[in-house]
Amino acid sequence: MRLRASLLALAASLGFSMATPVAAQDSLRIRLNADIRSTDPGVNRDANTDGLMWHVLEGLVALRGDATIAPMLAERVDVSADGLTYTFPLRRDVRFHNGQSLTSADVAFAMERYRKRETNWRCRGDLDGAVTRLTAVETPDPHTVVMRLERPSALFLTILARTDCGQAGIFHRDSLNADGSWRAPVGTGPFRLGEWRRGQFVELERFAEYAALPGAPDGLAGNKAPLVDRVRYTIIPDDAAARAALLAGNIDVLPDARTRDLPDLRARPGMSVHSSPSFDLQIILMQTTDPVLRDVRMRRAIALALDVPELVRAVTEGSSRPSRAPIPVGSAFHTPAMSEVPARDLAAARRLAQEAGYRGQPIRIVTTRRYEAFFEIAVLAQGMLREAGINLELEVLEWATQLQRYTRGDYQMMAFGFSARLDPSLSFEMFTGPKATEPRKAWDNPEMQALLEASMRETDPARRRATFEALFGQLMQDVPVIALYSSVTHAVTPAHVQGYRTWAVDAPRAWGVRVQR
Amino acid sequence: MLKRLLVALPTLLLVAASVFFLMRLIPGDPATIILGDAATPDSVADLRLAYGLDRPVLVQFALWIERAAGGDLGRSITSGEAVGPLILQRFQVTAAIVCASVTLAVLIAVPLGMLAAWRQNSWGDVAIVAAATFLLSIPSFWLGLIFLLVFGLWLGWVPVVGYVTFAEDFRGALHYIALPVATLALIETGVLIRMARASTVEVLRLDYIAHARAKGVPEWRVLARHAFPNAFAPTLTLIGLIMGSLLGGIAVIETVFTLPGLGRLLVEAIFARDYPVIQGVMLFIAVIYVMVNLVVDLLYPVFDPRVTAG
Amino acid sequence: MRLRPNLLIGGTLLGFVFAVAATALVWTPYDPVRINLRRRLVPPSADYWLGTDEFGRDVASRLMEGAVTSLTVAAATVVMALVLGMAIGLAGGFLRGWTDRILGAVNDTLLAFPGILLALGLLAVLGPSRWGIVLALGLAYAPSVARVVRGSVLSIREREFVEASRALGNSEGYTLLRHVLPHTAAPVTVLATSLFGWVILAESALSFLGLGVPPPAATWGNMLASARPFMGDAPLLSIAPGVMIATCLLGVNLLGDALRDLLDPRDGA
Repeated sequence: MRLRASLLALAASLGFSMATPVAAQDSLRIRLNADIRSTDPGVNRDANTDGLMWHVLEGLVALRGDATIAPMLAERVDVSADGLTYTFPLRRDVRFHNGQSLTSADVAFAMERYRKRETNWRCRGDLDGAVTRLTAVETPDPHTVVMRLERPSALFLTILARTDCGQAGIFHRDSLNADGSWRAPVGTGPFRLGEWRRGQFVELERFAEYAALPGAPDGLAGNKAPLVDRVRYTIIPDDAAARAALLAGNIDVLPDARTRDLPDLRARPGMSVHSSPSFDLQIILMQTTDPVLRDVRMRRAIALALDVPELVRAVTEGSSRPSRAPIPVGSAFHTPAMSEVPARDLAAARRLAQEAGYRGQPIRIVTTRRYEAFFEIAVLAQGMLREAGINLELEVLEWATQLQRYTRGDYQMMAFGFSARLDPSLSFEMFTGPKATEPRKAWDNPEMQALLEASMRETDPARRRATFEALFGQLMQDVPVIALYSSVTHAVTPAHVQGYRTWAVDAPRAWGVRVQR
Repeated sequence: MLKRLLVALPTLLLVAASVFFLMRLIPGDPATIILGDAATPDSVADLRLAYGLDRPVLVQFALWIERAAGGDLGRSITSGEAVGPLILQRFQVTAAIVCASVTLAVLIAVPLGMLAAWRQNSWGDVAIVAAATFLLSIPSFWLGLIFLLVFGLWLGWVPVVGYVTFAEDFRGALHYIALPVATLALIETGVLIRMARASTVEVLRLDYIAHARAKGVPEWRVLARHAFPNAFAPTLTLIGLIMGSLLGGIAVIETVFTLPGLGRLLVEAIFARDYPVIQGVMLFIAVIYVMVNLVVDLLYPVFDPRVTAG
Repeated sequence: MRLRPNLLIGGTLLGFVFAVAATALVWTPYDPVRINLRRRLVPPSADYWLGTDEFGRDVASRLMEGAVTSLTVAAATVVMALVLGMAIGLAGGFLRGWTDRILGAVNDTLLAFPGILLALGLLAVLGPSRWGIVLALGLAYAPSVARVVRGSVLSIREREFVEASRALGNSEGYTLLRHVLPHTAAPVTVLATSLFGWVILAESALSFLGLGVPPPAATWGNMLASARPFMGDAPLLSIAPGVMIATCLLGVNLLGDALRDLLDPRDGA
């Protein structure tokens, strides 16, 4: 013990003396597992890009910690009685990073770019008929924006706040080149983009004129005052190297510690572990058009042969709660009825499989080693199904190949994960739909499809809740997918980092965090 | 020399074509990856259009070759950067590590290998060969991680992550590349010792060595003037090979030590299906390869007087 | 003939490895793919000699089964690389001229390909299977063999005894087989033994990327790759397959050296 402590002290002191060119005192160094893709919000992006860019750009509205929507650049949101007109009075104190004040013209300019087909904005389709249609963005005065929809939608504000769509971030027109292409973000966020050395680090600098909202930080809303001069995202792809970097004092935040490292990290002096359930979903998909799996009895047999609680405990080392519902356990729409996990029943599974005419033919489950959880789920499912006489074969693919097979619906079974869906309708929508036009959809049930679409128009939470319970009930009958759990994010910080918190979306937030050595 | 370079041209074209078409055979494309679990047929089509992936593959190839011939390797789909400068920048890192580790390995391995051959079947020979065999049977990523834990974390001699260029901070750069260079050098040393030993054993058996010894030439002179220069030639071939295989295999080391090198660029591009980057890097590696092999072939007669330059 | 220590030690080590593999064909302490979630990462004990892995599978049993898989895959790959590589190398080095140039161009193309890209492409087409690995790695390593063979042919073909064979009126083919081929034995044996090791290591690197021999089948390579995240908590998981790899390679290499001494034509003369 004494040896370990002194080694740690030695490592810390050396890390200190050899610190990277950034002075460690006023900067926060965060691990990033892969470089960001671009600075173009909601266009060329991935989860890392979203998580970095939300420090730089803000939208009219933003997500709270519980996935509800709060005004951000807007002072408030007024919705007309028919649900077709949204009025956003803008805050007067907001400035862009270039010193200009935010006006309604800036909002209209940004929204116009998002709505253009050539921009390839991720949420364009959703606002162009898929969910609703945004017909007009009007600017009656410099401080008011009015948006008009073709049909009412419970999801409209959620789409504007979606992190994978860059929160529909409002940027100054200086962000674009003369030809309309993206140059660099000039936003209103608490940090501005500093140096980006590809493959090595991305730096953010404190925006001194940031007008923070009063109160406390809450998700991507609330008080986002920057308390450090500089944030450096250091790119460290290897998990073991990242852990070593944290212990050696080369980084200040390890935002995505592996579950299996936690006991050791907790035992180290000064290290704090922060955990929050996320809104993603780990799931097993089944192809309902497959000759073997077409029979619902076969799919039920598979579900019954799995010991879901045991499987989830093993994969997440007990940190996630097993749940067969697609709506994350942290959501306000996850009702008690959804918490029920049917018990394993090997005898029933064998019987159903036999009734379905199953004679031990191999069923292939696609998985990848890119995400260890997918791989472990597949291996465990293989072992559990074997006990019910169901013969699963693993098909381990490289991630891009698996994604293509997913998009094409080209699989028998697949261990998969959906990124965070913030509205309960989207939690079902991600795998529900017509296979004819969208082969990636696992659940092709027109009746349920209609019910789901109704839930998107409905704005009353109680009635929506009832709809989701009905959807869940039918899902458990049809078993096109076996939902397993939502993962838990674990971040680790040393003693000198104060105010760091994790939340429902994996990526870290640097505002409200202080470095005190 | 010029003629040899011209002969190499078809090789380069062959590499370019095989990479191009192989990549398109592999399932998964950039549009699917960017869109991930939310890809709709519509949005995939839009993105494919934006990246020019909707055109026939042959047309794409012709366009790429035409631009590449003019020195334009296109832009990365992932980051939008120009591929040419991106490769040069990443190559500096890789070149520094590869050159340093191969030099180090040669300096250690060749004398040891020759010594072992000279004292063949002695305990020294057995010890050297055993050590070499042991070294080449260690997976490099495993050794890298152990080094990282021991020297980076426990002893704190070097920083665990990061990189600065030699131009920015010479001593800092040395700190950052020390571990990756040591890892690679150790592994390559194992291969090189065995090769140097084997070829020296060959040469020591030749008649002219016996001749020289019989004539009473002192042993050190036999070794220095007759045996070692000749034994070096086959080893040289292997050094060429190692340089090449290092370029391909260095990605794992670059990942473990978080170095922004060419290997990591390539592997990440392959996983992201970033076609312009993959094609550019592969062409670049092929050029380097052809050049290294050319140099080895040209140097061969210099070290081995029995072969005339072909 | 005197007994060489190389032969003795190498033979013993390799004999041990093959004995383990042979035993695994008929008996292992537990079912090597049997999962037991209540006994994950158990330290070694009388029940589990080498403990259990992250899925509660018996490490000793997997190590034994891994011997079978790893040896088969490595041997098949080396044979494939040798046959292909020697054909190309001999033809190129001896015939020279245009044959050499064309073969050289193809060879350089293959050499310039990073193995991972080649493996990725071939495995994508063939689907992940152990024979896909053999084909991909065999193709990837054949050019290295060709290059070494060509190099040594180049240095031999100018020697007196080759010239003499020609002067005696022997055909080129006879000269190639009788006088040139035996002299490539030494470098090729050394390379082949290294290759055996490289294949086992390459398989572990591919496993690391999820492209190796598909689970749940055990190879030393995929055991090593799977053990990596647990290096801190369960070092034995990494050490055990590593030791097996090292034992096997040490055996193969020592035996290779002994073999080369025996094969050397001038020793026998």
